[in-house]
Amino acid sequence: MLSDSRFKASLLSRRTILGGGIAGVAAGLLPVPGLRNLAFAGPGPDRPLLIVVHLRGGCDGLNLISPASDPDFIEARASELRVAVDGPDAGHALANGPDAKVDFRLHAQAGGMAELYQGGQLAFLHAVGLTDGTRSHFVATDMIERGVADAASLNRLNDGWLSRALAVDGPPRGLVAASASGAVSGELAGLPSAIAVPSLDGGLAPPGGPQAAEVLKRLYAFTAGDVGVAGRDALGAMATIDGRLPRDAQGHIQGYQAEAHVDYGPAAEFGRPLKALAQLIKMDVGLQAATVDIGGWDTHEYQPGRFRAAVDHLSNGLAQFWNDMARYHDRMVLVTLTEFGRRLRSNKSQGTDHGRAGVMAVLGGKVRGGRFYGAWPGMAPDKLDEGVDLAVATDYRRVLTEVLEMREGRRLPAIFPAYAYPGPLGLFGALPTKA
Amino acid sequence: MATNPQTKSKPAPRPDAAEADAGFAPMVLARLGHGARAGEIDRFRAAGYSTWLDEQLAPPPGDDPAVAAKLARLTFRIKYNEGKDKAWPAVDELRPLGTLGQPIEAVWPMLAERDKHDGQERRRPLMEVMVATVVRAADARYQLREVLAGFWHDHFNVDAWDQEQVMAALPTYDRDVIRAHALGNFRAFLEAVASSTAMLYYLSNKSSRAGSANENFGRELFELHTLGADAYLNDKYDRWREVPGALKGQPTGYIDQDVYESARAFTGWTVEDGTGLDGRRKLPNTGKFAYVETWHDGYQKRVLATEFDAFQPAMADGRKVLDLVAYHPATARHLAHKLVVRLAGENASAALVAQAVAVWTKQAHAPDQIAQVVRAIVSSPEFKASREVKVRRPLALVAGFARATDLDLTPTEPLLNGIANAGQRLYGYAPPTGLPDRRDILLGTNAMRQRWQLVLALAENAWGTGVIQPARLMGPAATTPRAAAAFWLSALTGAYDPMQIEALVSGLGWPPDVPLPPGQPNTQKQLARIAGLAAMAPGFQTC
Repeated sequence: MLSDSRFKASLLSRRTILGGGIAGVAAGLLPVPGLRNLAFAGPGPDRPLLIVVHLRGGCDGLNLISPASDPDFIEARASELRVAVDGPDAGHALANGPDAKVDFRLHAQAGGMAELYQGGQLAFLHAVGLTDGTRSHFVATDMIERGVADAASLNRLNDGWLSRALAVDGPPRGLVAASASGAVSGELAGLPSAIAVPSLDGGLAPPGGPQAAEVLKRLYAFTAGDVGVAGRDALGAMATIDGRLPRDAQGHIQGYQAEAHVDYGPAAEFGRPLKALAQLIKMDVGLQAATVDIGGWDTHEYQPGRFRAAVDHLSNGLAQFWNDMARYHDRMVLVTLTEFGRRLRSNKSQGTDHGRAGVMAVLGGKVRGGRFYGAWPGMAPDKLDEGVDLAVATDYRRVLTEVLEMREGRRLPAIFPAYAYPGPLGLFGALPTKA
Repeated sequence: MATNPQTKSKPAPRPDAAEADAGFAPMVLARLGHGARAGEIDRFRAAGYSTWLDEQLAPPPGDDPAVAAKLARLTFRIKYNEGKDKAWPAVDELRPLGTLGQPIEAVWPMLAERDKHDGQERRRPLMEVMVATVVRAADARYQLREVLAGFWHDHFNVDAWDQEQVMAALPTYDRDVIRAHALGNFRAFLEAVASSTAMLYYLSNKSSRAGSANENFGRELFELHTLGADAYLNDKYDRWREVPGALKGQPTGYIDQDVYESARAFTGWTVEDGTGLDGRRKLPNTGKFAYVETWHDGYQKRVLATEFDAFQPAMADGRKVLDLVAYHPATARHLAHKLVVRLAGENASAALVAQAVAVWTKQAHAPDQIAQVVRAIVSSPEFKASREVKVRRPLALVAGFARATDLDLTPTEPLLNGIANAGQRLYGYAPPTGLPDRRDILLGTNAMRQRWQLVLALAENAWGTGVIQPARLMGPAATTPRAAAAFWLSALTGAYDPMQIEALVSGLGWPPDVPLPPGQPNTQKQLARIAGLAAMAPGFQTC
């Protein structure tokens, strides 16, 4: 458990963060391209902003960041499923890896992430994941979204960990959470005000103009049950957001203009929700948390090409989003999650099957990046989970707890029930240097 | 919920009170179909529920004549630019649905001729199946088969948008696998799925080889298709003897090693895709199923505590796995539960699931096993008394609107996009779970907005789907906005609700009681808009 002195240290650091946040507010008053008509500043503009990026399908952490010089690793895996240390496909060397004796290499396609890491904004965790031994996508995803680590808890807990975190001081008011996708993500389950916004192109007014909006308002005004609530919530959220979209003199919605030199194109399908999210954040409606998905990681076959494309989209997306969010860096923490890593030994379809530990990335202006956190269990056969997979050395809940406690500046015991938090890893530099 | 053992299989001798309830017929027609057409509720009541159910549960194979004629008559736009270096000419035409009746080998060669055809040609089979799905949902006589085809497409989900091979395989998957077995026997169904080109590509068994088998299909076979995640006992991982019942050959659940071993059992189940087998032989390139003995891992295996001897005849290992999982008690529970949720809602009782399990198990070898399970569920007092327990999915909204308004629906690409935007991209759900059967995912802000868009666009023909003719159902006499609102709300929701009528007409802002002049183009527009707004009401969202 966290000792008193450590806890005070993290409180102290929280004040520093708030100091940075005030600068962020000042910056928020500067004109934003494409948002000139915006006359509204939402509540609590200095609230920390937590963004969760889901790598759906189980990202092969060992192919994203390879222990490239480890003889056991080289022995077990086909070369095309490892990051190379030399030649045309050589990966990015990462200083401050989790094991000084091993050359950890980031996938060659992850140039954007390599820059963020070298710039000190991005930290990695390897061998991180669920302590439960499930190799099921859906069980693992459910557990991670709800913030538990055993199947029995899935039947007891129906809300998401992010919903619990946002409601820690009572139900949050207003538009505090969004999923940049067609449906609200599982972390936000149980938070009625959470909205799904896959795109803001074309605005968010109800279809059919003001007349239909008026009819809808009346049709749904008194309807009981979830459908009535859904209708009223939708109309409220749509009016709030649509009313703040910048319009030209004729009332037409202006297209979103990202910061200069930002281009979401290379992020392909991952770019669209990131763009919508950046747009939503910059409307300053009071957003505190958001989720985004990126698929393409369930690489049971033909992994080399598919994985390269997925890493390309991920890395470009994160880098472009980071640049687009320049005014928010001090407030923003972005965390990547995936349900599990993949099998150490590749199969004969040039792919990998479901495994255990994977990689998480933490990105933010206050992140003490450019290094790894958490222990490295190694690739020796006796260190593997069940003899086949990278073992989980760091519980994903430890990382999320540290992020959430940094956000609140205090202990939050109730977010992950029955989890004995061993204290921060130091992702935000909150740990005093060892005496 | 208490059940009456006397009711089993005997037709009710006298009118059933639950069936006489005014809300029963609209509920059945909306939930075991896609909603009532004009006059259908009266016909349903006259014929009686059991007669209706008998017909719906035993449809003749293939499309009914009206749907067959419509599918033969319909066209769907295909449009693309000229290929590079004039490799192909530009195309923009309304083309008949030519791939629907074709065997896979007729569609497959397109995939190899990438330099001769635009990608739209390779996507065509997918688009045509989507069009046919919308037509059948709206127009099929055997509506319950459409509901169950949708259920099984979710259960045995494939994402055709992701791979061209699955696009090409979709017509045969829909026709010969899903529809052919939707009311049939689960064991036979399972083998048809396991040997289907669509599934072999989607869950990558097609590339699985002895030595280091691909586990993708094996994993989802256990977790999604049969026993279900509740029977995944992975705290036992490799200690199979510790699984309860294992030492008697009746393990209560499965562990990772069962997945690994069944992956070995299905090695060699593949597709004729032209791959070389050795220096002299290669597979034909037809897209049809193939079993390749030299890719099969023939050594002994253990699946669900059952020993497999080494070197069994062709496909025997895979078939033995299918027997083990198809007849496993956890599969009966998993499938019965899913069917109950689909038909009677997420909060249906455990007792109803238990009844369905009993029928599933007893009829495990019956050719109409699934139809019998469905009959048991929908004959229960609990089903009959249930109301508004399901939120209509986007496809059901479209079909329900078309049926209630007597619209001769012409599916167009904007309509298919509208259905996708509302949360149901047909044959394009990426995870193998299929679209989850939950209310909440259909009720988010974005989903609600897109649902409203969907019905309003249909009512106003914004997407070229056809013009509704309100006067055809309402009669030629003059009507007022209030009367029109009452008419459409009743037709769409199956209930007369004065408060909703008042809400609609007061929101419209038109004089509620001033007659709209009959026959005028503007009247037609106004009536169509009222129909669309009525379909946006809460009462049309559920059934």
